[in-house]
Amino acid sequence: MPVYSISHVENVRVCVVMVGLPARGKSLIAQKIVRYLSWLSIKSKCFNVGNYRREIASDVVVNAEFFDPRNEEGLKTRKEAVNRAITDMMNWFSEENGVVGILDATNSTKARRDRILKLCRENSIEPMFLESYCDDQDLILQNIIDVKTTSPDYIDTSNEFATDDFLKRISYYEEIYETMDTKSDSDLTFIKLVNVNSQIILNRIESYLESRIVYYVMNLHIKPRCIYLSRHGESEYNLTGQIGGDSNLSERGWKYAKKLPELVLKSLGEENKHTNLTVWTSTLKRTQQTSSFLPYKRKLQWKALDELDAGECDGMTYEEIEQNFPEDFKARDDDKYEYRYRGGESYRDIVIRLEPIIMELERQENILIITHQAVLRCLYAYFMNIPQEESPWMSIPLHTLIKLEPRAYSTLVSRMKADIPAVSTYKEKGTSQLGEFASGTGISKSRDLIRDSELVTPK
Amino acid sequence: MSDNAIHSDDEGELFNGFGSAPISRVGSGKRTTKRWSFHNNTKPNLVDGPSELSSGTRRLSDITGEDGVHKVASSSVLGGGQLYSTESGRLFHAGKICIALAGLPGRGKTHLSVSLTRYLRWLGVKTHSFHLGNYRRASAEDDITHDLFVPSPNSKKANEIRNKIVDECLNDILNFFKHDKGQVAIYDAVNALPEYRLELQRKFADMNIQVLFIESLVTDDAIIMKNMEEAARSSPDYVNWDYDKAYKDYSERIKALAPYYQNMGAKDENLSYIKFINFGERIELHNSNYGYLINKVVFYLMNSRIKSGSVFFARCYKNSLDYTKDPPLDEAGKKYARNLAKTLIDHLKANGKDYILEPVNPDVARLRPSSLKRQLSVDERQPAAGVDGVDEDSLVIWTSVKQRTIETTQYFAERNVKTRHRIQLSQKNPGVVANMEEPEIKEKFPEEYEQYIRDPYHYRFSRAESYHDLAIKIEPLILEMERMSGDILIIADDTILKVFYGYLMSCSCYDIPYLNFPTDDIIEIKFNAYSNGAERIPIKDYDE
Repeated sequence: MPVYSISHVENVRVCVVMVGLPARGKSLIAQKIVRYLSWLSIKSKCFNVGNYRREIASDVVVNAEFFDPRNEEGLKTRKEAVNRAITDMMNWFSEENGVVGILDATNSTKARRDRILKLCRENSIEPMFLESYCDDQDLILQNIIDVKTTSPDYIDTSNEFATDDFLKRISYYEEIYETMDTKSDSDLTFIKLVNVNSQIILNRIESYLESRIVYYVMNLHIKPRCIYLSRHGESEYNLTGQIGGDSNLSERGWKYAKKLPELVLKSLGEENKHTNLTVWTSTLKRTQQTSSFLPYKRKLQWKALDELDAGECDGMTYEEIEQNFPEDFKARDDDKYEYRYRGGESYRDIVIRLEPIIMELERQENILIITHQAVLRCLYAYFMNIPQEESPWMSIPLHTLIKLEPRAYSTLVSRMKADIPAVSTYKEKGTSQLGEFASGTGISKSRDLIRDSELVTPK
Repeated sequence: MSDNAIHSDDEGELFNGFGSAPISRVGSGKRTTKRWSFHNNTKPNLVDGPSELSSGTRRLSDITGEDGVHKVASSSVLGGGQLYSTESGRLFHAGKICIALAGLPGRGKTHLSVSLTRYLRWLGVKTHSFHLGNYRRASAEDDITHDLFVPSPNSKKANEIRNKIVDECLNDILNFFKHDKGQVAIYDAVNALPEYRLELQRKFADMNIQVLFIESLVTDDAIIMKNMEEAARSSPDYVNWDYDKAYKDYSERIKALAPYYQNMGAKDENLSYIKFINFGERIELHNSNYGYLINKVVFYLMNSRIKSGSVFFARCYKNSLDYTKDPPLDEAGKKYARNLAKTLIDHLKANGKDYILEPVNPDVARLRPSSLKRQLSVDERQPAAGVDGVDEDSLVIWTSVKQRTIETTQYFAERNVKTRHRIQLSQKNPGVVANMEEPEIKEKFPEEYEQYIRDPYHYRFSRAESYHDLAIKIEPLILEMERMSGDILIIADDTILKVFYGYLMSCSCYDIPYLNFPTDDIIEIKFNAYSNGAERIPIKDYDE
């Protein structure tokens, strides 16, 4: 059965210990790291001490006084929250083979950090401290606005109260806060980000995995931008139900290609109609044909955007695969993410080949990517944080333009149907028939992209 | 967003995506005049032009050639990992950058400038290192004294020579930006004083060139000693010198300079600078919102090590097989695998490296912990657990995920050598021309063949991969390779080996497809501060 497991990181395990006062963007960084690594199939998880604290003290009114270092009750609760988070994290490392665990808390004193450090060393886990240090008041206030609109602690309070209370909470932390420095912490692996990225200290980064996390954090930017995703127009192979190949667009596929420029303009809106998009396609004819009527000059082809290589099954229909390779057919349904076609690729393989261009994508501004079903699922999973058990089963219909707008704590999705009929290429688990509800069982794990996103109808 | 946003520097210019159309090489090979005032007698490789346009069939049968990292960055030469090209020749919207080094002698500045040049060129960024030392050697008369090295020499003559040398070097840098579409110039000099550094920053800023300082500081005496030994052995200043004399002279030079040197700090607060301490133990970035290109440089610096190990390349047996087939090794292949393992182990032993264990029963090998962990107190820093290649005395093998390459490593596996299987190391997908020799391709796909011949590096046949596609795919592996201190053996198809070789030896992408890796040799790449070297190790037949 051609399912391989690849060890694509070393056997290293890393515990990222966040350090910093509240409202320094720690949770945002932690979440982004988890999203990036999970997408790369590096098992990672964030342990947010605040969530543990809310769970323990669910009936306590939490205001700034709770965080007063002299408030015994508060201290006790907070200590228990940390202990639970650390215990859960260590169990996760040992029982679930975790690779990168993130302890998202203020970890503001040296004593606290020392304790975690020793625990990591006892368990042969590499401790990496990531401090976000900020003394720029404007940046802090901006962050507070972001936090208080998302923090569960301030759901039922007025904006004004929330800001004041939060500032007070921060001042309590400031009393005991000890920042990391190159003298007393010279022996530790740590990263210190000062006022976002205006100054950065990287101390003793000792594995490639750690360096990749740092590089990713350095490249994070939250400029407002749009990412458009589209599959190619319906192809001749789509009509016959064959997979792979390098066929031309069908008649209806060409119609979609002609309509695509109009769809994009509508989605951009009147005031942005002169926005210059960068267009990425795969190297296969059907995506290039789909892009051929777009007026933008920057068009780039990427081999990395080519459809999943089905190896020996290339050009077959699912029925033919089921007949000729019944074992493979079943193996693929059992673990679609890991299954590698004979002489071809798996979903995991696609993610590995997409990795070098994901950073290139992160730095792009407005972009339109025309690619294929499997690749689009992987890209979509990256932006929307979809677990890998689900992503290969997502339904992404033909002739639909998807718009993603990354925001600090989430990504907005909308989609626009071109209103040009096309066949369905969606295959549910356990059948070789195509169509959104072919098996009629309705118990599949499929995740309907349409249901989860806001539908925008062209006016 | 308005249209104006895209008209800065490179943005409004012609934008070539590779693969959309073959890259035209018109104008290459026509370097009529010497571009910079290099002294002909001092720069070994600089007079070599890019490979000739007309000789489309050039074959580099011998791949043990010299490192291309010091060649002139001609405007027609593209690095293997370049993503796209622009008319201005500059990439990543990053403009022109002068990376000025700072630090006393013996701090590895030359190594830093050479390895950065290698990496940036690979990314397709037109980069050149300007070593002030080379200019000094060309100008100075025989009565060279340490006086020449200090920032303000006592003798008038030394002062004049010094100023002349610096001017020449800076002029060359400006010409490189102005006439050669250069993007990154690395200025390798001591740059000891804050006033001088500020002056340099002003000079370049006036010409719209960003300056980024990288200061190499070493607080670990063992590293300095090692660097001094290296300099005494191989610095161009000490050719034909007695080793002990050279060592003494070099240490005196450092001593003469040390009192003048001022570390970058408060007086440099308006400069953009990176402190690079003990070769990556600590990196500090100041005023560091530099953007994507410089972030890549930092990513590289995080992973760059002064390496003592080598990279070995070996082909897997029978790699001319059909791309989609995945059979196990046959008898001949097993024999090859055995000979390969023995040859490499013997070679390592002959070079004083006997860290590879004797074969053990595979069951025992599995039980034995991969490394014996020293019992350390949790109060001390511990060696990173489970990271490959930390130890100088270690071998890590990388192969593809094909059965035959996995089986090729079995004779290493029984010696407990770590093996990593990477999908990125799969051979280049030949697409529609699978299993065809060139004459057949020419007959069946005449038009495509013509385009392929014009640019064999970037051209891809229908459904195939190009070498360029491979280069993008393996970029993460290149950084991982740079980080490892020990030896690495890469067993892969020759299409993959060519691309790795192209990076390590700074080949132009036009040469990469013509590299020829024989099956019966292991190729060893040795790292050196100034240029890497390649040697072949014939695989012996141990059955005869």
